[in-house]
Amino acid sequence: MTAARARRAVIAGLILLVALVPVFTPDTYIHNLLILTFVVAVTASGWNIVGGFTGYVSLGHGAFIGVGGYTGGVLAAHWDVSPFLVAPLGGLAAALVALLLGLATRKTRGAAFVIVSYAMLELLGLVTRNWSGVTGGSQGFLMPLPSWDVRFQNWPFYYALFVLVLLSIGMTVAIRRSKLGLGLMAIRDDEDKAAGVGVRTAVYKSIAFMAGAVLVGVAGTVYGYYVSTLSVGTMFDIVLSMQVVLAALVGGRGTVWGPVLGAFLVVSLSELTNTTLGGTDAGAFRLIMFGGLLLVVVLLLPKGILPTVGNLLEHRRRGDTASPTGTRLEDTPLPPAPARSGTAPSTSDLLRVTDLTMRFGGVTALDQVTMAVPRGSITALIGPNGSGKTTVFNAIDGTYAVTSGSVTLAGRPITGLGRAQRAHAGVGRSHQLPRLFDSLTVVENVAVATGEFRLAGLVRSAVSGAEAARAAELLEFVGMGAYLQARAGDLSYGQRKLVELAQLLMLDPDVILLDEPAAGINPTLRARLTALIRALNDSGRTFVIIEHDMHFVLSLADRAVVLARGRVLADGEPDEVRADPAVLEAYLGADLAVGADR
Amino acid sequence: MATVTLLLQTLILGLLAGGVYALMSSGFTLVFGVMKVINLAHGAMIVLAAFLTWWVWDRTGLDPLLVGIFLSPVMGAIGWLLYKTVIARVQRADWELTLVASFGVAVAAGGVMALVWGAEGHAATPSYFTTSFELGPLVVPQAQLYACVGAVAMLAALHALLRGTFLGRAIRASAANRDSAALVGITVERTMAAMFAIGAATTGFAGAALSVLYQFVPDSHYRWIGLILCVVILGGLGSFLGAGLGAGILGVSEALTSSYVDARWATAVPYVLIIVVLLVRPQGLLGGRVRADGVPA
Amino acid sequence: MIRLESVYAGYGGGDVLQGVDLDVRQGSITCVVGPNGAGKSTVLRTISGLLRPRAGQIRLGDQPIHGRSPAAVIAAGVVQVPQQDGLFGRLTVRDNMLLGGYLIRRDKARLRRRMAELAEAFPIIAERARDKAADLSGGQRRIVEFARALMTEPSLVLLDEPTLGLDPKTCQTVFETTKAIHALGATVLMVEQNVRFGLKLATDGVVMERGRVLLAEPATDLLARPDIAAMFFGATATT
Repeated sequence: MTAARARRAVIAGLILLVALVPVFTPDTYIHNLLILTFVVAVTASGWNIVGGFTGYVSLGHGAFIGVGGYTGGVLAAHWDVSPFLVAPLGGLAAALVALLLGLATRKTRGAAFVIVSYAMLELLGLVTRNWSGVTGGSQGFLMPLPSWDVRFQNWPFYYALFVLVLLSIGMTVAIRRSKLGLGLMAIRDDEDKAAGVGVRTAVYKSIAFMAGAVLVGVAGTVYGYYVSTLSVGTMFDIVLSMQVVLAALVGGRGTVWGPVLGAFLVVSLSELTNTTLGGTDAGAFRLIMFGGLLLVVVLLLPKGILPTVGNLLEHRRRGDTASPTGTRLEDTPLPPAPARSGTAPSTSDLLRVTDLTMRFGGVTALDQVTMAVPRGSITALIGPNGSGKTTVFNAIDGTYAVTSGSVTLAGRPITGLGRAQRAHAGVGRSHQLPRLFDSLTVVENVAVATGEFRLAGLVRSAVSGAEAARAAELLEFVGMGAYLQARAGDLSYGQRKLVELAQLLMLDPDVILLDEPAAGINPTLRARLTALIRALNDSGRTFVIIEHDMHFVLSLADRAVVLARGRVLADGEPDEVRADPAVLEAYLGADLAVGADR
Repeated sequence: MATVTLLLQTLILGLLAGGVYALMSSGFTLVFGVMKVINLAHGAMIVLAAFLTWWVWDRTGLDPLLVGIFLSPVMGAIGWLLYKTVIARVQRADWELTLVASFGVAVAAGGVMALVWGAEGHAATPSYFTTSFELGPLVVPQAQLYACVGAVAMLAALHALLRGTFLGRAIRASAANRDSAALVGITVERTMAAMFAIGAATTGFAGAALSVLYQFVPDSHYRWIGLILCVVILGGLGSFLGAGLGAGILGVSEALTSSYVDARWATAVPYVLIIVVLLVRPQGLLGGRVRADGVPA
Repeated sequence: MIRLESVYAGYGGGDVLQGVDLDVRQGSITCVVGPNGAGKSTVLRTISGLLRPRAGQIRLGDQPIHGRSPAAVIAAGVVQVPQQDGLFGRLTVRDNMLLGGYLIRRDKARLRRRMAELAEAFPIIAERARDKAADLSGGQRRIVEFARALMTEPSLVLLDEPTLGLDPKTCQTVFETTKAIHALGATVLMVEQNVRFGLKLATDGVVMERGRVLLAEPATDLLARPDIAAMFFGATATT
């Protein structure tokens, strides 16, 4: 029996075991413990989608239990139906609140988002308390009493929540394997870069937030029904939010089973503290334990149990940690360049930058820069340090909004478009220090670059079909064909450059902007890169290359634009530009009349 | 009450409350402004200092505010320890995890306090606890006024520290540019630890003020960290002047909401302000440019 | 006076310095020139202890200083004036000067003496003592930076692109100030973008390219080379 099958058998066995607990024992104490575990597990799984996959750490995820609980409870009372019937509406309400929170991420990320999530939790709690006419305020809100046989008192709650746990796991698996999941993890690793390779980050995030809340909301209604009195203290409890974060972190952020495992651990520990250190101080000990555990996990085990164990096992299996070392590139011949898809546009100047001005605070980084890049050319963009070359790239690919001026691609103005849209329009760009999605594999890094966005396409498998084949082809072309499954974070600097090149080729860009491609790499790789660029250029792609290594770039380029202090100094053939006295002065420095005798 | 009188009274109470908030936030602002660290345990340290103050006052009858002054070095030592064991280590890793870690510390501290002192409310009640000064029809609570004066003194002291001592200069230099600071021989790590300790020391007096002004329970730290975050976010993370401004605005907003809307909604004000400011103007009123993740550019 | 041997150093993304061998004569003004990306500033950062070399040695006299903390390097007598943001804009000129004496702050008498001596040599320090450093012009800031570097009476002064962003008139001041520092007995190791300026000022010249030292010659010889411009545009200079 293979390892995977053994694993699946064990999991199936455990699921069956848990499913049969109420059948085997009528002990309500155990039912209660498991019910609590399920609630934490569902909430932690939901948190994991937002905090684990997408990278937005929330200290207020427990609020969705409250939103679901109160929505379901109030509607059930209002319409006089069983809360189980309106539970889906609880989920819907939670999803809507989550959507709003997700929209907030346009402006707040990282630490600011953590604070906003905390504020949201407290605020929702206060609103619920103050809206006492509807919610019963501090008095609490009474849910209807169960109407079924007291012998099976807990069964509906138990199984409803159990099913929700299974659904959460299923949803997590589906997301993890899908294009959506890939995009989310890219966003987590480097949100701006994800936009730069065509991921529509706003849409992806909205979906993630809603997915992370909907099942939690449903669970909230069920849980509220179970505890039979809704109170702001229990439904919007900061400690629950903290337990959820703890569970996800302990078990393993970003894994499928981590949050569930974590939930079991957290609730068991909580119970242990209650029973062993009982009495009035139990609550205090619980807090100490949770806070302490959170601290310990963050300091000592930040990845969580499952990933750490997984890494150890993998090291054991593989022998020593073989990080990918460079191939002898000069030995391998250059594969044929990948074909262009689609028809080439007809204008002769592919990229035109007109009167581009960029001002930051009081500094004018670019002053009326105008340049035209002919189709099929390799244009070198050179100039002394600080002349604004990278700023030009940032203005072209949408990282910066221009102060004034315009950028047109194949005759079409792209100045108003967002980063992802420009990537789709045909702008490909590499960075001085190559930016990849470190937690993804090499092939995933390339496959995540998506073309036109289709909602239905998100559910498709992450790396499959034509896209997978194309990604593999591109990686083969740049020479990384042997490293498809390697983790991007383990690659060497030179290898990262190559993967980034494959990544940007994935979108089949019309114009390729390379920012110091030759910086910091050995001569062999430099030669390879030159060959790659030539091959791509021969097959119809246009290049603009920023470089300080004149050997490298002027041997490749058929045109050169010199930038100095934010202005275009010269524009023409490389040999002309080399001999231009103004250019020489810019590089050598002004012949100042300085001397000791003055 | 006549409308003008009500308004003035509301403003006075709001400003006095603002003064207290400024006091609570001063240490936090120092640490954030220089190190860009958000220490969510700051509220818990203030409550801890409040408990310690109450405990000493209960046994000895010493004036709480005086006790607070003596508590400062104790809290400072605790802060230094916290920095060395937690903050310095997590900072290297992950921004958000620093927050989560400090939150863990806060929760655990709340548990410890509940263990030692129980969960009922406490307050230190010296003689001036309930007395007020009277300005015509207006009432100025004495304790609040003293806390405000303390706040001003505290902020002035911090200001003097930063401007007039070598440590202060080293702190400001390290905040401006770590490499340049290193190039004049400043050991940036040690300077940061010292500064974190100073920020923690402020909680001594702040906690003492808390013990006099409000009832507190171990869980109060949630409320206080929310208020502190609001002050700092409103004013523009990292500026003392901004914190003072933010504190005033928060205090007055709460008072106005209490008087004119409903007292119950006053406690929601800080959270509403946090969300609104972070969405509309993340750099606060006085802050400089800020990246989306709240890290000043 | 200071010697680098086979130094390799980088920032995690490839090595910027790929085997630097450099020997700076005591009492010289040595200027390092070269195209961007050659690693000139990285050499200074490595000497000052901001960057730890991956391999190789740096010796001051016979004392190894590679891998030591910036404070230790300053204590050994090596002070750097960085390319930019060296001065703390929000602090006053006086505060900046005092920080220059951070390592001697406990010796109050010496601190006061140095402040007075430098205020006399550079009047602007006394004139604008209470002003925020950011309020001074670029050239004035440079002067204050130079003066600040001298607070601890270093034996080796590192200048990272001293003329960056300055107009020709101020460059003259930089020229004179550097000569003055040199005259007071310090060795100067500088990195310059403006090749002509740097080589006119210096006694010894060094050319770097792609993380290595290409040439080391007397500055006047180097400046007189006809192929000096070509070095920036693709042709490797012949030794």
